[in-house]
Amino acid sequence: MYYPEPITKLIDSFMKLPGIGPKTAARLAFFVLNMKEDDVLGFAKALVNAKRDLGYCSVCGHITDQDPCSICKDERRDRSIICVVQDPKDVIAMEKMKEYNGLYHVLHGAISPMEGIGPEDINVPDLIKRLQDETVKEVILATNPNIEGEATAMYISRLLKPSGIRTTRIAHGLPVGGDLEYADEVTLSKAIEGRREL
Amino acid sequence: MHIEQLALENYRNYESLLVEFDNTVNVVIGENAQGKTNIIESIYVLAMAKSHRTSNDKDLIRWEAEYAKIKGRVQKKHQSLPIELVISKKGKKAKINHLEQTRLSQYIGNMNVVMFAPEDLTLVKGSPQVRRRFIDMEIGQVSPVYLHDLSLYHKVLQQRNHYLKQLQTKRASDFTVLDVLTEQLVELAMKVMKKRFEFIRLLQKWAGPLHSGISRGIETLAIVYEPAAGITEEQSDEQIRLALFAAYQKGRTREVDRGVTLTGPHRDDLLFYVNGKNIQTFGSQGQQRTTALAVKLAEIELIQSEIGEYPILLLDDVLSELDDYRQSHLLNTIHGKVQTFVTTTNTDGIEHDTLNAASAYSVTAGAITQIK
Repeated sequence: MYYPEPITKLIDSFMKLPGIGPKTAARLAFFVLNMKEDDVLGFAKALVNAKRDLGYCSVCGHITDQDPCSICKDERRDRSIICVVQDPKDVIAMEKMKEYNGLYHVLHGAISPMEGIGPEDINVPDLIKRLQDETVKEVILATNPNIEGEATAMYISRLLKPSGIRTTRIAHGLPVGGDLEYADEVTLSKAIEGRREL
Repeated sequence: MHIEQLALENYRNYESLLVEFDNTVNVVIGENAQGKTNIIESIYVLAMAKSHRTSNDKDLIRWEAEYAKIKGRVQKKHQSLPIELVISKKGKKAKINHLEQTRLSQYIGNMNVVMFAPEDLTLVKGSPQVRRRFIDMEIGQVSPVYLHDLSLYHKVLQQRNHYLKQLQTKRASDFTVLDVLTEQLVELAMKVMKKRFEFIRLLQKWAGPLHSGISRGIETLAIVYEPAAGITEEQSDEQIRLALFAAYQKGRTREVDRGVTLTGPHRDDLLFYVNGKNIQTFGSQGQQRTTALAVKLAEIELIQSEIGEYPILLLDDVLSELDDYRQSHLLNTIHGKVQTFVTTTNTDGIEHDTLNAASAYSVTAGAITQIK
């Protein structure tokens, strides 16, 4: 090895992060060596705390440092709507919109027999439990618009059918503010399929 | 359309190559194993992003090279378009007009080719897989949406087959998941089938008269697409959906037993009838050849009618497989309107105005020289 052991270990650790290769890892490691000790300690603490203090909300499955999470606890939110998403990152995306005031349910995946993921492997049973009491009037299925996400949405909508809860799927088609000419053929044909009366 | 210039880098046996082509007929002459077919193949790959000879892209990269690059300048009706395809061990990169294309389904169709190789003579007689490949490749050239639907269909099919396997081995038991996957499959199967119906109808329209011409008017060709579940072109979407659902419902036990999807466009076939007789089983060699030729010529006309330009025709060692009469029929049809590439070991015995007026290139051990 060209480096002393501590720095080799540091480089290896950085390389465990996504998108970071040996060169970037070495650059980051040497940067850490020149940082103030307090900052390094703070950094290390932040890493450990994020891992130790964060967990999944027992109600909706979103990442949180308190259980239930701040969204589930928030009394001002509309408890009659649940938006079902695949990933905690999707909740953040929806929250940035600031227009949605209901609750969430995070599945942590989508049905994909190829990868051995069935409905019991994603957070579906918990969702069904949440719907037992009468408050929920609508479930919005906001899984990704690909084969697996679509299958998951269809599966959940079938499960909910007998309950009479309103089940909706988010629309797909052209992005807002985009030009028609730049859309690819497939998106355009989806947009034509989903056209509506004015 | 025609290809004006072709540049190869590390492609098969070509280390580097730069050649300009005539917009009528180009004859590539050379001994065996010198790289005649490789030139034609590279034009095909440039258009379709895959080879007609191999499904393994790595085969296209020259021995011990890292990547293969094909560049072409295509003259279309209103523009001259640079197209580029790089094949490396990691995958393919396609550029149109120097812009990288993120989706291959967007790339394919910018340059249209029709390939006629000795294997195509088995179009009639060969396995259904050959005919499905033919349909998919040809529709794909004129419809990117079809390519997308087809690839989604295959993805859902894979998911469904995996789930059927899990049901078979009792690792799963939730039939609602199977229903959902079936519903997805039905929707895509319907789209694929409808496009295929449309394509076969057009193909029939062009191939019928051509076939009658080649057979001197004594034979009539009918091409029939017979999809699963007895679906016909006249049925409405709703009827097709219901018929497919019924078929999957009926086949469910068998599918779970076998752990695989047994009906759908991935199992469909194309039938050829001459004078009412199925020539896959009852046709003579000659009838099968005539049919294959008629279908290929029809393809040229079909692409012309769909996109308003003639495609580039690639004839790989196929002239020697046809008798004089069929040869001259082929050459008369393309005369003066279709840019054509012909490979052959020698031109002796082929006497035709089209060939006499053609440009000729000689290929020896991965080098090309224009001789006429």
